[in-house]
Amino acid sequence: MESNQKKSLSRRDFMKLTIGALGGLIGLGYIIPAIEYVVAPALAKSQAQQWIQLGAVSKVELGTPTLFKVNISRQTGWIVNQEELSVYVLTDNGREFIAMSNVCTHLGCRIRWIADQNQYFCPCHNGIYDKQGNVVSGPPPRPLDKYQTKVENDQLFILGG
Amino acid sequence: MLTRFGNWMDERMGWRSVWEGIFLRKVPRVNWFYTLGSATLFVAVNQAITGILLMIYYVPTPDHAYDSVQYITTQVAGGWLIRGLHHWGASVMVVLVVLHMLRVIIYGAYKYPREVTWMTGVVLLLVVIGFGFTGYLLPWDQKSYWATTVGTRIAGVVPFLGNWILRIMRGGDDLSAVTLARFFGAHVWVLPATLLFLVGTHLFLVIRNGISEIPWKEGRKQ
Repeated sequence: MESNQKKSLSRRDFMKLTIGALGGLIGLGYIIPAIEYVVAPALAKSQAQQWIQLGAVSKVELGTPTLFKVNISRQTGWIVNQEELSVYVLTDNGREFIAMSNVCTHLGCRIRWIADQNQYFCPCHNGIYDKQGNVVSGPPPRPLDKYQTKVENDQLFILGG
Repeated sequence: MLTRFGNWMDERMGWRSVWEGIFLRKVPRVNWFYTLGSATLFVAVNQAITGILLMIYYVPTPDHAYDSVQYITTQVAGGWLIRGLHHWGASVMVVLVVLHMLRVIIYGAYKYPREVTWMTGVVLLLVVIGFGFTGYLLPWDQKSYWATTVGTRIAGVVPFLGNWILRIMRGGDDLSAVTLARFFGAHVWVLPATLLFLVGTHLFLVIRNGISEIPWKEGRKQ
């Protein structure tokens, strides 16, 4: 009985199966590389972090956030862009530094230091941070992002990419 | 479950009769040369799939075309494969189309009632050559630049109208951003739309009229 059922696979059904299997295989041969190809740039690791030179330590004012602007080159796809990186640096003693990104943690607008109110202000949705970058009021979910810093030959560096 | 869904759809679309008309139609006993048309169709689908994928990264301007193609080939995962399939598929396409045409000529398959199938086929041959000609420029490297310089110059030797044709093809006197943009536009929209329409007609006629028998087959009705 069982062997009969095995034999009952007709020529037509065998062809159907073979064509279906081959077609499926060819289909996978397209779909798998296609998915890989489309998502590849999204999965690529962001560029390696490197030490970026901000400038002389002596430029940092004591007790007041000082703005540093540096140009960095960043590769996106096949294009190398020059981008300006803005960093607020705060020091109370000239030896320990806090370097903060000027990008608001809410939705990515640029914040600025308002000296007479002693706070950072984001114009997009009225986010307010204190001198150390902690949220005072408004929608920002977390304090300003900090960079790792180091001093070499009286030059201040941050780790970024 | 699947059968029930099939029945539900069939009741509303009548897809089974379409499926049967296409895949379960009766064909005469013929030989492997009769598969050249299907082989061409397969490669055409390959060109469409890989072409759409290439468009995700390719940028048709002189300052980005070459770099974006290099980016596809060397940086994007599987990019070498997608571009390779499109590149080699283009050559295979031309070879298959010519072989398919030779088969139709030798077997006399262009005769009544299949003349319109033949005519659409002839235009399709020109469309395929048009694809090859316009696609060759898109990588924007030395080879493609000079090949198009020469190719458009050849079109320019047509008596009386030659210079006009050359200027229209190039979009000016010289090869430029304008040339690249119009070759790209022709390659990804004008020619594909034409191809789709002609292939649709071609295939409809193949199914409607049926394929020709082998003319020298023994026992063939006279």
